[in-house]
Amino acid sequence: MPDEADIPPPPDVRGISLDGSQPHVIDAAENAALCRSVGVEPATDGTAHPIYYFIATQIGMGLSVAEFCAAFDFDVKDGPMMAGTAVRFLQPLRVGRPYDVRGEILSATRKHSKTLGVMDIGEYRLNLVDNGTVVAEVTNSWVLPRRQKP
Amino acid sequence: MKPGTALTPFVIEAVSAQSMRDWSVFLQDPNAIHLDPKAVKALGLGDRLINQGPANLAYIMNLLGANFPGMIIESLQCRFTGNVFAGDRCVADGVVIEADDEGITCDVWLGVDGGGKAVTGTAKLRR
Repeated sequence: MPDEADIPPPPDVRGISLDGSQPHVIDAAENAALCRSVGVEPATDGTAHPIYYFIATQIGMGLSVAEFCAAFDFDVKDGPMMAGTAVRFLQPLRVGRPYDVRGEILSATRKHSKTLGVMDIGEYRLNLVDNGTVVAEVTNSWVLPRRQKP
Repeated sequence: MKPGTALTPFVIEAVSAQSMRDWSVFLQDPNAIHLDPKAVKALGLGDRLINQGPANLAYIMNLLGANFPGMIIESLQCRFTGNVFAGDRCVADGVVIEADDEGITCDVWLGVDGGGKAVTGTAKLRR
């Protein structure tokens, strides 16, 4: 288990682009399966479960979760955890529409936790865009533990 | 609906390992803590699979949808404050803190039987 002095400071990640290269389409059949997996029936009006704000932005952003962690010099196998999320919906999400993802990494902040020890908080912003119009604004943060115990 | 009004809870009787496997596909994220108990143990996080955070959030969104049919979630801000493990019984719940002609604001949370709150947050809905 490393001493804190052995842990390099978080890298300068601010401004790294998370723009996606291909739009993400919410598949109707997958939406139905997802809804049922969390105990509700899918909507019949073409809207998707709102949790797709998270799924569509995560899949559609320019980096995989492993690549995103690597930008922070963090191995995804070391157990990243979600710290927080905030979304503002400007339109309901719909199945079958191609959504582009635009965004960037905002910060990496070193913190100390009683339970996790040294950790970095990675914060990033993603917009879900439908034909040039932003339909959801998202800010997420992940905990990247640098060691398991203080 | 007035401030202080309690929402009708949305209950998940037992979070399933199969659901976690499904969500690994939905999220295209094969993080082993959702698939292999040994990976959870290796990280010192217990010995049961850990539910995906977005799935926990979906339970809260279901709570909002069930309590406010016809309204639209305008915003949701949440912190992940604990883990939900395979087999856990969870209750998504909330209380109205503001209400006017345009919409409703609620404090929301996801409680785990015997384990405190895994998610806490604030939601705004509009008519």
